[in-house]
This record gives sequence, C-alpha cells and structure tokens, in this order.
Amino acid sequence: MMDDVRSPRLVGARVLRVEDRRLLTGSGRFVADIALDRMLAAKFVRADVAHGNLTGVDVSAGLSIDGVLAVFVGSDFADHEVRCVSSYEGFQSSGQPILAVDRVRFVGEAIAMVVADDEYVAEDGCDAVIVDIEALTPILSRAQALADDAEPLHAGWVGNAYARRALRTPRFDQAVANAAHHLTLQLTNGRHTGIPIETRGCVAEYDRGSGVFRLFTTTQIPHLIRAGLSLALGVPESNIQVVSPDVGGGFGVKAQLYVEDVACCLAARALGRPIKWVEDRREHFIASHHSREHYHSVTAHFDDDGVVQALEADVAVDMGAYSVFPWTATMDNGMAMGILPGPYRIHHYAATGTPYCTNKTPYGAYRGVARPAACFSIERLIDQIARHRGLDRVEVRRRNLLQGSDYPWHSPSGLVYDSGSLIESMDKVVELADYDGLLVDQARGRAEGRLLGIGLVAFTEQTAHSTQEFKLRGVPIVFGYETVRVRMDASGQAVVAASIHDHGQGLETTLAQITADRLGLAIEDVHVQYGDTDRVAYGSGTFASRSAVLAGGAATKAADVVADVLREVAAHCLEASPEDVVLDAGKLWVRGTPSRSIEVKEVCRLVYQRPERLPDGVEPMLEATRTYDAAPGTGAYTNAAHLAMVEVDQQTGKSQVLTYAVVEDCGPMINPMIVEGQIFGGIAQGIGTALFEEFLYDDDGQPLSTTFADYLIPTMTDVPDFRVAHLQTPSPHTIGGIKGMGEGGAIPPGAVIAAAIEDAISPLGHVVITRLPLTPERVLEYIDAAKNQGGGR
Amino acid sequence: MREINVVINGSDVRATVSDRLLLSDFIRDDQRLTGTHVGCEHGYCGSCTVLLDGASVRSCLTLAVQTDGHVIETVESLAVGADLHPIQEAFRLNHGLQCGFCTPGLLMTTLELARENRECSREEIRERLAGNLCRCTGYHHIVDAVEAALRTGGRDDG
Repeated sequence: MMDDVRSPRLVGARVLRVEDRRLLTGSGRFVADIALDRMLAAKFVRADVAHGNLTGVDVSAGLSIDGVLAVFVGSDFADHEVRCVSSYEGFQSSGQPILAVDRVRFVGEAIAMVVADDEYVAEDGCDAVIVDIEALTPILSRAQALADDAEPLHAGWVGNAYARRALRTPRFDQAVANAAHHLTLQLTNGRHTGIPIETRGCVAEYDRGSGVFRLFTTTQIPHLIRAGLSLALGVPESNIQVVSPDVGGGFGVKAQLYVEDVACCLAARALGRPIKWVEDRREHFIASHHSREHYHSVTAHFDDDGVVQALEADVAVDMGAYSVFPWTATMDNGMAMGILPGPYRIHHYAATGTPYCTNKTPYGAYRGVARPAACFSIERLIDQIARHRGLDRVEVRRRNLLQGSDYPWHSPSGLVYDSGSLIESMDKVVELADYDGLLVDQARGRAEGRLLGIGLVAFTEQTAHSTQEFKLRGVPIVFGYETVRVRMDASGQAVVAASIHDHGQGLETTLAQITADRLGLAIEDVHVQYGDTDRVAYGSGTFASRSAVLAGGAATKAADVVADVLREVAAHCLEASPEDVVLDAGKLWVRGTPSRSIEVKEVCRLVYQRPERLPDGVEPMLEATRTYDAAPGTGAYTNAAHLAMVEVDQQTGKSQVLTYAVVEDCGPMINPMIVEGQIFGGIAQGIGTALFEEFLYDDDGQPLSTTFADYLIPTMTDVPDFRVAHLQTPSPHTIGGIKGMGEGGAIPPGAVIAAAIEDAISPLGHVVITRLPLTPERVLEYIDAAKNQGGGR
Repeated sequence: MREINVVINGSDVRATVSDRLLLSDFIRDDQRLTGTHVGCEHGYCGSCTVLLDGASVRSCLTLAVQTDGHVIETVESLAVGADLHPIQEAFRLNHGLQCGFCTPGLLMTTLELARENRECSREEIRERLAGNLCRCTGYHHIVDAVEAALRTGGRDDG
C-alpha cells in the first residue's frame, strides 16, 4: 500500500454537514413518516400496577370496536421472549415476555397489543380492554431488593441481585494501613435517561413468499437488533432485514431490543399486513429504558499531602425489572467499578458491586454509561480531600492526576489508558474560563449577598473500546469492531456503506471527509449509507464513543484498497508504474508530469465498462470491505477539563449555570465543528443530570414523572453559552490517532455543578453535596443544613 | 366528519376530517407533509410547531377542524426549489442541528420571530425559543444560527 504525498484536505476542517439539507427541508425520513400499503396501527395496553399477578385480560370489548382487527395477549406470543444473559459468574437471568403472561413487574409493562385501521381506533381498543391484576408488594429500593427475606422477583432466583462482583488489588490492605487519613462518602444519582425528542417506533412487515421479516425501527444498532430478533423470533438472521432510517436522537435509549419490535414482527406475520407502532411520550417515560440510578459508597485513603494511596468503592445499581438486550443487567455496574479510580494515579483499589432487580422500568445505556456516577463519586472525594487538607482544588488534583510519563497507565481495575493531557487540560480550562477573574466576580457577588460558586473537574473518557474491553464486561455479543465497504461506481462516485448509525453525530459527514481524502475526491462525490442490514456489512452500531474511530478506521482501510486499484489501472493507462501515480483532486497523474493524467471518473468507467483495457490480473471491481477494531481493543482515552460558575437563589433554591468552559482533548479532530456540537449537547444533558432530571416513584411503584411537565429537560434558558478550547494528543493505538468523544460532555457536569453549588452556599456553612439532581427542594435542604452546621467562610 | 377548507403552504386544500383529528396528524398523515414532527403530544416540546395565520401553534394541541378557513405554514414552505430559506441556511452554516428532529419546529418559531423584524440579544433569543426543546445541540449553535438569521435576512416577505 502506498502513501499519498498530499496532505488531508477535509479531515481536520470545519466541513459543513452533508446531511443537513434534507433535515432542514423536512425531507428526512423518520420511522413515523413511513406509510406502507395496507398498513395497520398498533397500540399497547400497559400495566398500571408495579408488581402483581395478571389474573385476566378480557379483550372482547376491544375486539368489538369497529376498525379493531386483532388484540394479542401474552399467551399469543408465549413462545417468545427477550433475554440477555451476562457471562458473569452467578448471573441470575430474567426473560422479559413480549406481552406479560402471568406476572407484571413494572408500571408500563406491555400486557396486550391492539391492532386497528388507525392509531385513534387502536387507542379506543386499548381503553376497552379490561385487565385484572392482583397487586403484590412492589420492590422499589436497594434495601427492599437485597433484604435477607426479600421475595425474589423472578422464579428460581435467590434474592434479587442480578450478580455480585468484587475486585481487590494485591497490596490493598497494606496501602490502607499506611494512609494517614480516610474519608468516606455515600453518593446517590437520580434515575433518569436519554429522552430523545423523537420517541421510539417501528414498522414491521412479513413477506410470506420468502419468509423474511422487514423491520423499520428507531435504533442505533441495526445489526444487533437483527441478532436479538433472530433469537426472539427463532428465525435465522438472513430472514430478517432491519432498517433504521433517520433517527431523532438516541443517547443509548435506542440501543436496545424492545419487546414492541418483536410484537410488531409477530403481529405482522399473524395478520399478513404491515404493522406500525409509534410510542407516545408517556409510554416513553415508563416503557423505554431508564438509566443512571447508582448508589456508591467510596472511601479515599490519603496522606498528609492529599495524595490518594488507596480507593475503596461499593457500587449498587437499580437495574429495574429485566436484563436488557444486548447490554445485560451488569454493564453499568462493571463500567462503574472499572472507571471509578478515574484520572488519578491510584495503585491500590478494592471494589464490590451489586446490580439488583426492582419493580421499575428496565435499565439500559445512557450517554456516558456509569461514568457520570463514577466521576461524581471520585471528584466529590477529591474535593473533600482538598477541604480536609486545606488545599486548593486545583492543587490537590495536580498532585494526583496522571502525567505524561505515567502513560500507558495500567489502572488498578485492569484498564489501559493509552495517552492523555490531564494537567494540561486543567491548566488550560483555568485560563479559558478566566478562573482568577471568576474568583474576583465571586468575591464581589458574595459581598452583595449573592451565592456564587465554582466547580472544576478533569476526567478521562474511555472511548473506542472494542474486543478486549467488552470481553471483560460479560456481554453475550462482544462489540469488537465495525465494518465499512467502499465502492466506487462507474460514474466515479464513492458509496461508503458503514455498520454504524448516524442519529445526529454527523458521522455521515465525518466518514465522507475521511473517504474523500483517501480517494482524492470532493465530498459531494462521496455518499455514506448506514442503517440497513441488507445494504451494509456486519457490525454493531453507534454507541460508546466508538463510531468515528472504528468506522473511520475501517473506511480508511477500505478506501486505501480501492485507491490502490485506481492507481494500478491509471498506471496502466498512463504507461507508468503504480508507485509513480499520484491521486488527488479527482485526478491521477504521473508524479512530476501533471500533464500525463487521467480523471478518476474515467478510470471508474474503464474498470466497469471496458474490461479489455485493464491490466492483467485486475478484476473489474472497485470495492473493498474492511473491519477495524483499534487493536489492542482496550480503548482510546480522551480527556477533558470542565469549569463552571453557578449562582444559587437562596430563597428558591434554584441554581443557574452562569459560565461553562471546557477544554477537550480527543486527539486529532476530524471535524472541530462537529466535535464542539457533541460537547455542547453532552454538557446540556449533564446539566439535566445535575439539576433537573429524575424519575420519581410513589410508595406503590407508580411513576410520578410521565410528562415533560414533571420530568424537566434543560431548555434554552437553562444552559449558558459555552466556551471551548482543544488539545490534540493522538492515541498510539488508532488510525490517525483519533479518539472518541461522543459521550464526554455528559460525564462531568454533575460533579462540576455539585462542587459549584457546594462552593456557592459555603458562606452559609459547610455541607458535602452527595446527591443528584440538585433540584431547588434539595438545594434548599442543603442550604438549611449549611445554616445549621455553620462554620461558613 | 366535517369538511374543512385550509390553505397549506400556499395551496388550497379541501378535506373531510373527523372531529378529533389533530392538526399534526392531518398535516403528516393526510397531507403527507412529514417534515412537521411530533415529539410529545402534550404541547411541551415544540417539535410540531407550525404557523397558523402567521402565529406559531402546537399542531399537536390543535384540532384540524379548528383550522377551517385559516392559513397554515409548515417547514416544507421554507425552501424554494434547491434554495434554502435564509433561516435554514443560517442553521446549516452554524451547525444549528444534529439529529434534525426538533429542527422544523425551531425553524418555524424562528420564522415568526424574524418577521417581527427587530434586533434580538442572545438572551432574548433564548427566551423566545425556550419553548422548543432540543436534546442534541445544547442550544449554543442554535442561538448562533438564530442570531445569524436575524442579522442576515432571516426576515422573509411573510
């Protein structure tokens, strides 16, 4: 393979997005926009009791409604289920029925499916179905779930832990004994999730002639959905086509096989007509997976200088009623235990973890997976060490953060951090935010009685992890690689078919940038396809900040193969050696003799349409498929530093973020404009984590957060303008040195804003903030506690 | 069922609709103008915003029969052929969208603001558009886009 002499033109530039035109003109195609011939509408009857025996479902009144064609109940689909088994030792497995059969385990669980001529009539049908549930005592907390006498929620289980995990480094006890100081925090993270503005939905059809299911669905992971459907439906993958068109945001919540996908496929086969289901917003709040509800107990053992000698952690995660596909019910727990030591030079570590089962909506991935909670725990600890030792927060971090000479860093939990610039990013964000100026503002504000506080966090974002990492997480399918096929057609256009999905991340543009550079094309001549299992090769999809690295790497590899064929054919035409042929700007020419040239388009035409002109041994094909796993597969470590100033209203407890600055190091950037958009979006979600978002339940397990009126996501007035700067430390492991960055923005805002609020109310007295979200009520509680405590500065 | 006569994006439309049909479903399913998106059906998210006689409304909280005799504008009215409307162009140039689902509602709300033909600070823009939820962008680039649109001819002849 030859290297080009030219430098990249598009990679690294703020290239405008190729997908924007269709999205701006209303020409996108989302699942809800799909209308098929003879299509029917489905709606679901859902459990309104958190835990109970399902004693009867009377569908007769529903069926009698004009326009209702069928009502399916649990027994109709009883041969099918969604099950995801972790390979962790002792894992207790839970199969989720497609429609509840004899037990309901959360409010929102699907019980019956009404199929009708249109959505309005299907809803009438749902209203007419009569469900009898004999209520049982629900399990809604860790204490209830893990009590010695707790009734198991699933048959055959012992207790309600999905699994129990423990790790301990060899000389941990000795390190603890040697440490002069010990500090423990108990931290709580509210249950919340991604909440894309597009809800879920699907359209299923079944072709009786071929026996093939086709499912249009709102997913980030088309191939994994096909793999899961294959298991749930009991048909080979080749009999299933999954198509995920434009998707209105994912954030992890759409990276999961849901029972509605399976139900619509089964109903489409039973009725011989396409079935469409579009989730409504209330369903989304109760039936799409939840996330983030972590309970951590963490202890730092440190010396007089505030240097951490050892870390101890206990992690518990409320995984809800069922283990979800493809993540299982252990992933958050494993990720939290792995990443808790964070960006610090901690050698000695002991951790235990318990993901447990409750009568709540099942729990899946949300942008950052466990890392926001882990970051909250370790950063709150570091802040308290600073206070304990009377050190500045920046200084205590400087003493503990990994430095250049520490890389590659083998963390005490077995992760390998490849590279980073933690102290540099912290120093730079201090400068970017004008920290000294903020301190002056703060002092002036305090003199006027305002509660102003500053929070600061530097952290690592584990990205682009593949085979090695997922092998350790106990998932049944190891998400090791992504795949890209690059094909040039006879018109000189490149079609890039990728196994990832794009639902806002701009991957359609970034993959086009990469491919265009490798093939010497204009971006207009590159067309990126994704989201259809029949059109793209096998892979996993988009999650875990890995698509740009893995699909970008695969695109590079595949494009280089095609470029070599272009050179070989051009060399033959130009009577030169392939090594002497330069490819750029839509042309191939002989190095040093630009007049001896041929257009890429002409080479493409010759390859397909004039095979007699090809050199011996060259096949009439301009196509290559390559996979990429970013060996060694342990991940590329992005890092960043965030700094915020927050004002707290002492009367109402409302917190307003006034300033937010971030320095991000995700290695060389493919498109800085897109990188910044991802960071800003992540921070806004993190502000939701910090201040607003929580699924609350009453004592019976009734969800209290079922509309946007009681589950608040940040609006335009809740987030400030952002300041951003970049460092670019390349990964030694990845093609181009690039690192992932899709999740990072969402990881630290909880820790940053909690620190800022704690600082803001510190003139009233000392409190340690350990609970998110910091809603006005909770901030008022902290203010009261601070006043009672006294001792403020 | 009831007959209604409306003007949608400049075209006269006569249709027979059920009394309970939402304007959002009428636009999307009956008229097949799927650029208007439905995000909550509660009136909170703003994705389904269209202009009714020039004023922004939630099409998910409006019945189709209520629009009889009125003028509706949707996102499909903005671009002329291949030429983007200045507001759309401002969103493109400023990376004011990611997944694009909330975008049509934001564009229509911005159009209403642009027609007021006045300067707006970033704070005013945030106040005016706070009824449109976006989960992808963190809003910063949207505010940039609206600022640019108001500055560079987002006002159309509307």
